[in-house]
Amino acid sequence: MIDLAAQPPARLDEIVEEFADLEPRERLELLLEFAESLPELSPDLQAQRDAGLHRIHECQTPVYLWVSVEEGKVRVDGDVAPEAPTVKGFVAILVDAFTGAAPAEVLCAQPDLLNRLGLAETLGMVRMRGLSAILHRIREEVRRAAA
Amino acid sequence: MADYVHPEVLVSTQWVDEHRRDPGVRVVESNEDILLYMQGHIPGAVHIDWTTDLQDAVRRDYIDRERFEQLCASKGISNDTTVVFYGDKNNWWACYAFWTFKLFRHADCRIMNGGRKRWEMDGRELSREPEPKYPPGQYQAGEPDPAVRAFRDEVFKHLKAARPLIDVRSPGEYTGELLHMPDYPQEGALRAGHIPGAANVPWSWAVHDDGTFKSRKELEKIFLKDAGLGRRNRVIAYCRIGERSSLTWFVLTYLLGFKHVKNYDGSWTEWGNLVAAPIEKGPGRQAAQRPPPERRAEREEVHQS
Repeated sequence: MIDLAAQPPARLDEIVEEFADLEPRERLELLLEFAESLPELSPDLQAQRDAGLHRIHECQTPVYLWVSVEEGKVRVDGDVAPEAPTVKGFVAILVDAFTGAAPAEVLCAQPDLLNRLGLAETLGMVRMRGLSAILHRIREEVRRAAA
Repeated sequence: MADYVHPEVLVSTQWVDEHRRDPGVRVVESNEDILLYMQGHIPGAVHIDWTTDLQDAVRRDYIDRERFEQLCASKGISNDTTVVFYGDKNNWWACYAFWTFKLFRHADCRIMNGGRKRWEMDGRELSREPEPKYPPGQYQAGEPDPAVRAFRDEVFKHLKAARPLIDVRSPGEYTGELLHMPDYPQEGALRAGHIPGAANVPWSWAVHDDGTFKSRKELEKIFLKDAGLGRRNRVIAYCRIGERSSLTWFVLTYLLGFKHVKNYDGSWTEWGNLVAAPIEKGPGRQAAQRPPPERRAEREEVHQS
């Protein structure tokens, strides 16, 4: 499914702009705010998580993601252990930016998102690898769900 | 802890709680996750990040001597300060920072046994205050100590001389069978497997589930009896980027009293990318003994670090 007219989700651009205006240290504070505002899972999804379902095995940190497309809109739910706030913050950004967007918009979200958030330098190459895998995974699942 | 060869380098959470305000003591948190310190830290502890503080941003190396001196001074650390490291992930990064401080020849370094996890399990106080500012330390670092760090040329010589190498990654990384992410090269390296002749002794075998180190007797069984290492051997340890192997370096050097252990911080992300470097795949020299029963599969850390 290729929609040449699609743009990345507007909310994602807003978040990128929010980060762009900040100093490196403030960016980390904002990322922590995102981490701490990640919505709790519904009891149903909590039960699935506790049963070990929907875990992203590429990540060393336990990360759980649910991606669905209903009535043309993407929904992302996620859960990350509190001892991994960086990963949790990144998941919270993606949940916020992608939920409610059209699948085509999510599919054209730029894979260099961490650079655009200004976090690449602070987090370093090694840490970025796992985070890029999460974005990649969401895009793959949206592609599948929207097919 | 008393029966380790150098018991003084390991302190308990209680010791840290009692001594964290001592003017001669500086508690340093070092984590894999850069936000954890902001989310809560031992009151009075400073933060040293392995990427942004200890590594050079341009070349693949540690900061130089001058910047290490500036870093210490800015954290209120002087040459005679007792520096106590603790952190997440079973103290990987605490051991990595400890090792970096030893590279610059800092005299008195300690590890808080069990790290953040043990501190939290003990229900001790965590603070969300901004990082405290201490009066600047007076610091003169030594030239980097070649006794603790191995570069790749030395690993080649080591290999030729059939001296002991230990690969502390998980068994899947060691055999080269680990599944990798689509579109991502294996572990940041173009080739998978291990350095020929290296014995696989996963780092995790040295710690309990609460992150504290196993007893001297248990460690001797793992490293002396099962892996066949001797205290006078020249040993090089490696993992993927040198953090897990700093934990094993710490265990061998301080808890078991090995005299000549080096950490190859280039590790697999260097070796697995070197053109024409020899690589072995398959079981190689995996210890016959499986990890102790408390070691669950999910603790075999693989990606990202």
